[in-house]
Parts: sequence; C-alpha cells; structure tokens
Amino acid sequence: MPGQSDKVTIKIPRPLYNRIGKLIEESGYNSVTDFVVYVLRDIASVHNRAEDEVYSEEELQRVKEHLHRLGYL
Amino acid sequence: MAAINRVVIIGWDCAPADLLSDEWLAEMPNLRGMVNQGLSGPLRSSDPPITVPAWTCMVSSKNPGQLGFYGFRNRKIGEYDGMWIATSAAVRARRLWDILGARGKRCAVFNVPQTYPVKPVNGVLISSFLTPGTDSQYTHPPELKTDIDRVADGYIIDCENFRTDDKGRLLDQIYQITDKRFAVAKYLWEQEAWDFFMMVYMGPDRIQHGFWKYHDPQHRKFQPGNPFERAIRDYYKHLDQQLGELVSMAGEDAAIMVVSDHGAKRMEGSFNINDWLIKQGLLTLNAPIDGPTKFSVDLVDWSKTVAWAWGGYYSRVFMNVQGREPQGTVTPGEYESVRDDLINRLTQVTDDQGRVMNTRALRPQDLFSGPYVQEAPDLFVYFDDLYWRAGESLGNASLHSSDTEIGPDDAVHDYDGIFVLSLPGEQRGERLARLQLMDVAPTVMKLLGTQIPVDFEGTSVV
Repeated sequence: MPGQSDKVTIKIPRPLYNRIGKLIEESGYNSVTDFVVYVLRDIASVHNRAEDEVYSEEELQRVKEHLHRLGYL
Repeated sequence: MAAINRVVIIGWDCAPADLLSDEWLAEMPNLRGMVNQGLSGPLRSSDPPITVPAWTCMVSSKNPGQLGFYGFRNRKIGEYDGMWIATSAAVRARRLWDILGARGKRCAVFNVPQTYPVKPVNGVLISSFLTPGTDSQYTHPPELKTDIDRVADGYIIDCENFRTDDKGRLLDQIYQITDKRFAVAKYLWEQEAWDFFMMVYMGPDRIQHGFWKYHDPQHRKFQPGNPFERAIRDYYKHLDQQLGELVSMAGEDAAIMVVSDHGAKRMEGSFNINDWLIKQGLLTLNAPIDGPTKFSVDLVDWSKTVAWAWGGYYSRVFMNVQGREPQGTVTPGEYESVRDDLINRLTQVTDDQGRVMNTRALRPQDLFSGPYVQEAPDLFVYFDDLYWRAGESLGNASLHSSDTEIGPDDAVHDYDGIFVLSLPGEQRGERLARLQLMDVAPTVMKLLGTQIPVDFEGTSVV
C-alpha cells in the first residue's frame, strides 16, 4: 500500500533547486522533484551494465526457453 | 495540416501488408477509416525481417549494421558456442523516446520489443517479452508495476507456448493477453500526460504462427470448413475495435499511426540446413549420429568444417575462418571464393517436390552499413524467399520437415508490414509506395515539430 513511508526527503541547495526550476519550464516535467527523480533513476539504472549481467542465470534460462518456444532460438 | 501536439503509434507485430487490401479493410472499419482519410502503404521491414532488430530499426531509424544486432540471439565473434541476447542493454542507439524525452516531450512506451531491462524515460515505460517474468522489474517508474497488475487483473508478459496443438486454449490466451494490454493502454492513455504514446500488440504474431494453416487456402495443411478458419480475421476485427476506441479517445490534436515490424505468410516447411551442409561436405561431425539431434558444437569436427548455420525464420551461415574461429579452415585469401561457392550452392537448393527454391543468400556487406557489419554472420539465407524456415538440428530423416523441431508453426515472416497514418483534420486517402521501417521515427519527429537528428537513416513521409 503506497504511503508516506515510500518517500524520503533529500535536501538540495536552494540555488540549485531554483536553477532546475528554470531549466524544466515547458519541458514536460511537472516539478523539480519529477526531474530530479528522473535524473537519479537514470544514473542508478542498468544503463551501463554489461550485456552478460542483464539476467541472472535462472532468468537467462527462462528467457532462452521462451525464445526457443517462439522459434527464435 | 492542423496543429499536432501528440503522436500515437499502435504496433501490430507481424501484421502483413495484405491488411491494407479492400478485402481485409472491409472487416476493419476503424483501420479503413484511417486509410481512407490518411496516408498508408506497405512498410518494408529490416533485413532480416524479424522482431529483433525490426522494431528498434523503426524507432531509432538505423539499420542493423549501425545497431549491432541481427536477431534475438547474436554470436560472440570468434567462439563456436558463444551467444548473447539483444536486450535493451544492447541498444546503444537513441530511440524515439530517448530523443523526445530529452527534448521535454513526455512519452508512454508500452510493450515495445527490446525494452527490458528497463531504462528510465521521461514518462512511463512497460517492457516487452524479453522480460523474464512478472516478478521482474518491468516498469518505469517501478511503482507503476502495482497499478498495471491491478488494471490488467494480473498482468501477463507473453503467451506461454504458442507451439501447441491445444488451439482452443492458445486462442483464449491470445485474447486474454490482448484485452489486458488494451486495459493497460487505456489506463496509461488516461492517467499519464504524454506527447508520444507507443504500444505494441504481440498478439498478431502469435495468432498467425499458431493459426495460419486454418486460414490460408494456399497453406499445405489447410482444410476447408475447419473450426478456426476465421480465427485470424476475427482477431483482427477485435484489434480493430480496440483501435477504434483508442482513436476516439485521442483528441483532435493527435496523429495516429498503425504499423507493423514485418509481414507474414504461409510456412511451406523447414529446411534442415546443417544436414544439408553435411551432405555438401562442408560440415563434418566427429561421429555419425542416430536420429534427430539438437545441434551442438561438441558434435562437430571443426578441423574438417567449412561452415555451419543457425536456424529460425531465416538462416545465419557462419564460415570457419582461420584467424577468426579457433579451428578455422578457410583462409582469408579464399574467403570470398568459398562464400561465392556457398551462395551458388544455396541458391540451387530444391524443395520437397524437387523444385529449385527461390532462395536468397545475402552478404551482410550488401545489406547493411555501419560499424557492426563486421560482426554479422557471413551469410543471411532466406529459403524460398522466406517460405521455408531453416532447421538447425542434425540427423533428420529428410532435408525437408513439415513442422519445426519444436512443434507446429504455420507462418513465416514476410518483408512487408503495414503503415497507416491518420492526420487530424485531413482527408487525403493517399496510398504510398516504398516506405520502410526507418521512415517512421523521422515522421514522428516531423509531426511533433522537432528537429530530425542528422544520423537518422529514414525520411519523414509528411
């Protein structure tokens, strides 16, 4: 169940906050929080993971089996 | 052209160009309305015409030689056994949602192939069928997953097994998944603020592979009056109804596209290419084998082998080259002449009736451009212009099999999919020729009034 405990507060310098506020004007981001969460997720994502690390051994087997049944392997 | 603020792409994986004929459109009023009002035509797929790389060619406007993958599985160069799967981690090129997102456009990306593992987008994303399961993290943002599961009443990533003889169950499953997708699409459509919305239905692909023989009088196994004769047509009518609902929700500032990544046609059978290579003296095994056997590199005497192949809806032939493969036999100096000889032999292959197939054996250098052409297989082979798929296993009773190694499959892929674009406030009804996958992304950019990146290979159709 979503609740307040799902979110935490992080403090950033006010000038940075103001600058981001200007940056995102008419950008499609609804708020500074939206933008900051997007950027942090991007950095923390699997973007740079090696291809071999995408799946655990068990997941890789599941995916290979699925592709095999689909006729691609 | 009226002001366009939003663009929608609805993908029907594997939908063939025939859908744009009067006969098919007669039963699909919503697609027909779009065709009559907008721009449409057959959409030439990538080479090879297959889900991966096709969808990514479409949304990045790049050919596979730029992307670096030629199918779901790809060979690790220099290894006999090494392969890797082209997930989203393998996509280095920027796709529509990456470019549009960076320019402040919010995107909703739903079930587009090669989106797992999930990378953040400016908006929302639900990944596609390389997702291991619903226990995986398949959405951006992660908390969207709970909503999706609730809205879909239990989200399903893909059909469990379409190679089954239990066709009634398969049909139920395809409809069930389709309706879950539709419920989620409507939810995203209404709940999210988006400028670009793209979803892909995999259902057309699954139903065509599972039911083509029931529907196509030209299929070898077609039986008139069978209970599934209308299964594929009825399914497209169902998709058309859902299309109509989405179009009615779109608003007057939205351009809507219906596209597919490749087409489909009847499968004539499976040609066992590794058995053929053995007969040609180009592939040698360590010891004779007894009965159908899965291809394994351990079975091969590499010191006496010139070439081996992977199967699928097309075949990839690899040559055993000195300096590249661990036990290469073909010298770099004779590489081209050996490859020419292979092409010559492959194009003389006959079908089970002794008729010479219309086989195309293609050099990657003639198909692709870009930094990854060197990593491509040595030949791409389309048996009988794709009507025959390629079987990889060894020791089959004949070079020709009526089914695949892993169960029934009725359809193969074809080069042309569909492109339909309706523009708000326009009555054009134009049929276009020579469209290709890579034209889709620049068209979207143009419609949204944003600059087309210089590295896009396609051209906007508007």
